[in-house]
Amino acid sequence: METELENENAFIKTFIEQEVSNRRHFLLASAAGLAGVAALGMGFPAMAAGPAQRLPMAWSYRDRSNPYWNEVVSGGEAFVESLGMKKGDLVHLINNGSSEKSLADIKAFLAKTGGKCAIACDPNDAPNARPVVESVAKAGAFVSTIWNKTDDLHPWDFGDNWVSHMTWSDVEPAEKTARILLNAMGGKGAIVGIGGIPANGPAIERRKGLMKALKDFPNVQLLDYQPADWSTQKANEVMQGFLTRFGDKITGVFSANDSMAYGILEALRAEGKKLPVVAYDGNPQAVDLVMKGELLATCFTNPPWAGGISAALAYHAAIGTFKPSKEPKAHREFYGPTILITQKDAQAFKKKYQSGSIPKYDWTDFWSPTTGPIRA
Amino acid sequence: MTSTVSSYDILWKWSPAIVLAALVAFFTIINPNFLSLANFARMSIAATPALLVALGVTFIIIMGSIDLSMEGIVSTTAVVFGWLFLALGGRLAEGWAWVALPAAILTGAVFGYVNGLVHVKLSIPSFMSSLAMGFVGTGIAVLMTSGERIRIEDDVFRALLLERFFGFPLMAYVGLAAVLLAWFIQRKTTLGRNFYAVGGGEHLAHASGLNVRRVRVLGFTLAGMFYAAAALLAVARLGIAEANTGSNYMFVSITSVVVGGTTLLGGSGGVWNTVAGVLIVNVISNGMVVAGLPRYLQDGVLGLLVIIAVVLSTDRKSISFVK
Repeated sequence: METELENENAFIKTFIEQEVSNRRHFLLASAAGLAGVAALGMGFPAMAAGPAQRLPMAWSYRDRSNPYWNEVVSGGEAFVESLGMKKGDLVHLINNGSSEKSLADIKAFLAKTGGKCAIACDPNDAPNARPVVESVAKAGAFVSTIWNKTDDLHPWDFGDNWVSHMTWSDVEPAEKTARILLNAMGGKGAIVGIGGIPANGPAIERRKGLMKALKDFPNVQLLDYQPADWSTQKANEVMQGFLTRFGDKITGVFSANDSMAYGILEALRAEGKKLPVVAYDGNPQAVDLVMKGELLATCFTNPPWAGGISAALAYHAAIGTFKPSKEPKAHREFYGPTILITQKDAQAFKKKYQSGSIPKYDWTDFWSPTTGPIRA
Repeated sequence: MTSTVSSYDILWKWSPAIVLAALVAFFTIINPNFLSLANFARMSIAATPALLVALGVTFIIIMGSIDLSMEGIVSTTAVVFGWLFLALGGRLAEGWAWVALPAAILTGAVFGYVNGLVHVKLSIPSFMSSLAMGFVGTGIAVLMTSGERIRIEDDVFRALLLERFFGFPLMAYVGLAAVLLAWFIQRKTTLGRNFYAVGGGEHLAHASGLNVRRVRVLGFTLAGMFYAAAALLAVARLGIAEANTGSNYMFVSITSVVVGGTTLLGGSGGVWNTVAGVLIVNVISNGMVVAGLPRYLQDGVLGLLVIIAVVLSTDRKSISFVK
């Protein structure tokens, strides 16, 4: 027993030592980076050209093992590389879903850089947006946010320092995919809907989009709408249940995302049926299915562009390329891009957005791909 | 068991079948379409991969252990299969692609073997060691695919889903064959009887000269092979092998085994109980949609069923306290 305890103590001791030395390495590395930045960036507004504009930049987000965030941050890295810097020069502030960590990391980055930095960030949850932007503004740094903020909080209330906020509403794009479906059915018949996790934001919005579209199609009946938790397998089973319950009455299917659509298509295929199906997300495989004509449409939100442009907005505000407070409100708070993909444009879409690496974007074209000001 | 078989015992023995019949009647009254060949074929498609997972874990539960590694093993073997199948040409009928099938089963066996070794050699409780191995499996699958899906389009392989005999897809017959195989192992092999010996009284079995550790490791290896076969059917069903292929199978399979009447204490129950359990769970999940009941009620209903099944299947007087 005693030796076991000792072993455990020894283990804890080594663990702590390792952690301390890891942290030291990290601090040393970042200090070295900083020194470089300081040497190069002395009086940076004067040095308008060349790789001298090595402003420290950070992306604060949840978790890189998540495919969505991986795409977002890859966009951030592409932007950093476009400035002639290395991918590794972008500092990753990974909060693992903790708002406290998100704020603490950002404060540490601000302290380290003395406020001479540009940050892109998802504040993790809406209430955390205020402390984040307040500390950035206090430090005189520049931040662009995506996804989370409270409705009463606006970039223009913070002068230039809170450069912009971008989010996505799935209502309108989902309404558009639904219209594509309903039109393809000739405006008559009956559909079933398969949705995401019931309490999930995008799941609610995408369903709302379908409902809005249905108002204009009085001759199409919505037979039922059931959640399948974004899962291919569950969607397959729900679709089977619908086939038993409604049989040949079903003439179209609305799926709230691509991975559920795969399950729906297989349920139909198993019975030798083919129905028009629309999906959402613009995954590469869904785009392939659109090209083959198995899916009618899907919708892409361009996460790499969002990640790159958020970093670019904060960076260019920081180096004085533009003055945020001189921009209209629609350039401070806006919806991100949504691109509908149907069979006729799938080929071109694939070539432009999904042929291997991230396409070369003009990172100073801040707003043209966005889709209008945020409505409360 | 004494020769005086009470009516309670008979009722208990047949209760899974009675519950199943009652559920079928219930859903048929709400929607007569439920009781149709087409719907039974649909249910068989949904049930077959889950059935194979449940058969695998049945042996473990009979031993009085638990195995929670199925999601990781199913995902890993599915991805190994998908990757190898495409690497070897992607056509079952031509070339060497068929090698991917035994390779997947072998992967499952190796995984299960390691799982058993970790449990026995390191003396880690099976629920913890298998849960951990499950995470390892999911991790490997994510690493191998980096989150991508592997599509299997080969018609010969997909015939498992698309080819039908008497209205049922080929995979339903594979499931039936697996049930008979599992039943054979349970009834006719030494290993099968040893599972009951270990579950019924491990110390007694050990004192009688049985190598309990070996039986345990073999049990986990066998379970791993069943999970791998389940993975193949899961891939055939959706045409996709991915790190997510295994998700949901833990809840469904353990629920099925328990609802079927195999007690978690070990030593009783068996393959046919599991078959009944899988059918009950699948009738509920299909029936909920067919009857038009909200789907979110389903997990609640299944949870209640598990509690009822555990209460009924445990002779509570024989246990002094519950941990």
